[in-house]
Amino acid sequence: MIARIVSISLNTFRENLREKLLYNLLIFALLMIGSSILLSRLTLGDYHRLILDLGLASINIFGVLIAIFVGIGLVSKEIDKKTIYTIISKPVPRYAFLVGKYLGLVITLMANTVVMIIGLLVVLHVMDVPITVLLFKSLSLIFVELMVITAVALVFSTFTSSTLSAIFTLAIYVIGHLSADLKTFGEKMDTVGRGILSALYYIMPNLERFNLKGHVINHVDLSADDLLLTFAYGASYTVMLLVLASMIFQRRDFQ
Amino acid sequence: MAIPTVILKTEVLRKTFKVGFWGKQVTALEGLNLEVRQGEVFGFLGPNGAGKTTTLKMLMGLIYPTSGKAWLFGKDIGNAEAKARLGFLPESPYFYDYLTGIEFLQFYGHLFGLRGGSLHRRIDELLDLVGMTHARDLQLRKFSKGMLQRIGIAQALINDPELVVLDEPMSGLDPIGRKEIRDLILRLKETGKTIFFSSHILHDAELLCDRVSILVKGRLVAMGRISDLIGAASMQSIEAVVEGLGSDGLAQVRPLTIKVTVHGERALLVLNGQEQVDPILDKIRAAKAKLISLTPQNSSLEDLFMREVREQGGRA
Amino acid sequence: MKARQLHSKSQNLITWLLLSLLLCMTIMLQYQLQQREGHVQKLEQLRLLPRGEVLKPALLGYHHLGADIIWLKIIQVLGERIVGEKDYEWLYHALDVATTLDTKYIYAYDAGATVLAELAGRVDLSNQLLEKGLEPNPGSWRIPFVLGFNHFFHLGDHLRAADYMARAARVPGFPPAGPPPYVARLATRLYAQGQNPEVAIEFLEGMLQQTHEDWVRDQLERRKKRVTVERDLQTIERSVQRYIEKNGRNPLSLLDLVVNGVLTRMPIEPYGGEYRLNSKTGEVTSSTHAERMRVYRSSDAMAKKGDIE
Repeated sequence: MIARIVSISLNTFRENLREKLLYNLLIFALLMIGSSILLSRLTLGDYHRLILDLGLASINIFGVLIAIFVGIGLVSKEIDKKTIYTIISKPVPRYAFLVGKYLGLVITLMANTVVMIIGLLVVLHVMDVPITVLLFKSLSLIFVELMVITAVALVFSTFTSSTLSAIFTLAIYVIGHLSADLKTFGEKMDTVGRGILSALYYIMPNLERFNLKGHVINHVDLSADDLLLTFAYGASYTVMLLVLASMIFQRRDFQ
Repeated sequence: MAIPTVILKTEVLRKTFKVGFWGKQVTALEGLNLEVRQGEVFGFLGPNGAGKTTTLKMLMGLIYPTSGKAWLFGKDIGNAEAKARLGFLPESPYFYDYLTGIEFLQFYGHLFGLRGGSLHRRIDELLDLVGMTHARDLQLRKFSKGMLQRIGIAQALINDPELVVLDEPMSGLDPIGRKEIRDLILRLKETGKTIFFSSHILHDAELLCDRVSILVKGRLVAMGRISDLIGAASMQSIEAVVEGLGSDGLAQVRPLTIKVTVHGERALLVLNGQEQVDPILDKIRAAKAKLISLTPQNSSLEDLFMREVREQGGRA
Repeated sequence: MKARQLHSKSQNLITWLLLSLLLCMTIMLQYQLQQREGHVQKLEQLRLLPRGEVLKPALLGYHHLGADIIWLKIIQVLGERIVGEKDYEWLYHALDVATTLDTKYIYAYDAGATVLAELAGRVDLSNQLLEKGLEPNPGSWRIPFVLGFNHFFHLGDHLRAADYMARAARVPGFPPAGPPPYVARLATRLYAQGQNPEVAIEFLEGMLQQTHEDWVRDQLERRKKRVTVERDLQTIERSVQRYIEKNGRNPLSLLDLVVNGVLTRMPIEPYGGEYRLNSKTGEVTSSTHAERMRVYRSSDAMAKKGDIE
């Protein structure tokens, strides 16, 4: 079964590599990272901060854009183009198809992120900005965030159109970054409101957990325990979404 | 004669869809009972929208029946073992158009767990079988419709299936393309495969099929050998063209015919069957009229089809 | 066939179990992480806000929404009330960002400045924020009002306080949007008798009418009690003075003042203590507050923050 999942994910990766959107976003990201060299000439004082700030933000934002806009088409495009018919009629369980598609995009994201990271490291090296372990911690959590968002996009992709998936996924992305606030607002409400908001808080992905950009810029370390727990949180959330997506997908009629 | 093995069977298979905002129920398939036997070419016929594709999708596990059951090789539909012995070509297929012919077949081979030398040999064989060897390194986006259909069939055959299911394999193709697919189907039959295909083009079915079934508006209206079906429905009519019958003669023959059409001196008499021939000839002789021609009209699959569709109040 | 159905049903059950299990695990991890972070992260979020001038173009026209969200975050931090010295710099930064994004965010100026002055003791930051808001908000009487309040209570500068109050009173309009009538009255009284605790009490009452945040109200109520003590002490002192003029000696007790008719009634100490008279020196004190508030002594107009607590 694993061999089949791998075949599907490699095919998905190959398919993704043909997306023009991907290259546009990647080039834009590299330009943004590179432009920090110019901007740092203009700024006074702490230019290390600016370069790190801009670099991490670019990697994060463009990663998220790729995850969302490629992720939403993962399954719905296969259904629209009816390419899924030939796969599901083969002895490939539906969950395997789904996991294969997911891993394919994760490979794509990995390749993209690596390219962007290399770009950032080059800039940091040229500008003599110290490269810290914390930077890599932050980058790894950015990647975990991308994996969670891809899984969110996949869930929506299994039962609705690309446009709606994009809107829903973006909404979850925004809520995910405000979810800590949801809880605090809830605490100021009556029991019903509090119940609803704290339920939302626990069910929505808390994407702020994967945000270490501020830590890197202000040199606030994150302990190994915290990092590990955050990884575990991301992994568990992702697997949960994949199971949910499989359940929805298993019940679906392909018309 | 040994009883042939039934490899595809459905029992009161039914599918309803919810359509529109209010989820109105629409029945796509109404209690289908079907049996496909090993080694035969089975034509699943019906006008567009009769529920053919819905049935095939259910058999392939792409959609779920609302009620009823279906078995492939004695196993429930959707069973992985059954799927491994099956090949499927969807209707007007779209494939990953960035792949080349060979990559495309490799991908589907991998889905069956085939790899290495044996897969390579299989791919070469198939490309040869469907006459696509020249396009092995061409991207699918550059394929013509006929080429896509042929590589699609190759894809369906990658696992050397016992049953090949084709959805409208001839539609959208030019006469040459259709001939090629027909030959391919016959060649597959020779190698002992069972072929189950849907079509709304009756001529193809008439040339290929051992047995057919006709589906109209989600209901099965006929199933059996073509000859039996036509025979059973056969009320062979006979047409006689007569000259100089005159009004008296016409009045004489009219009770014996189904229909009379007069063109000046000539009259076209349509007779119900063989029994009417002798009395009519007697009358013609008596009227001293001249018999121009006497032609038995063989009822074709098309007549049967049209009649069934009309009886169901549908449109062909 | 029955067995097969059973099989698919049990498979279904397993998936549901798996999903619930993963959900529980996720929630537990989320909870665990939340326990670990505590209060620090929220403040850090404020600290990490980019400058308003940078953020504004980045928000692509949604800067009002941005200001709202930042304000909501600020409110959360304020609600926690365990804020240290350094944290107020971040708070000020966040307020600055919010009011740069939306220069007419009067509530943010008003409540933000009150918190900075009252809870953080950072009158400098509070005034800086308010001064920034004066120009874009000529129609708001609250901003000059709070500025006046700061100058009066924290800087002890009753003349500048009176200027600000007069400015607040000149803002056109009627309550609730325009300035309430007591603003003009306060301005006049500030010019005339800046050191009178009665003025301060009226000022505080005006402020209390406009303030709805409990934590700020508490602070204002405390301040009002403290000023009430001062007012009572001054009233008693004046009676003692009159008593001496009348009788040529110090009164023996406070009751003596009332009996003598120089004090109309005995004031009640708002903290539940009592007022005391030293019959030898004629000095009047409160049992709860030994220190006096120098602000309301014409001799030393300048006060320090510590006075008021």
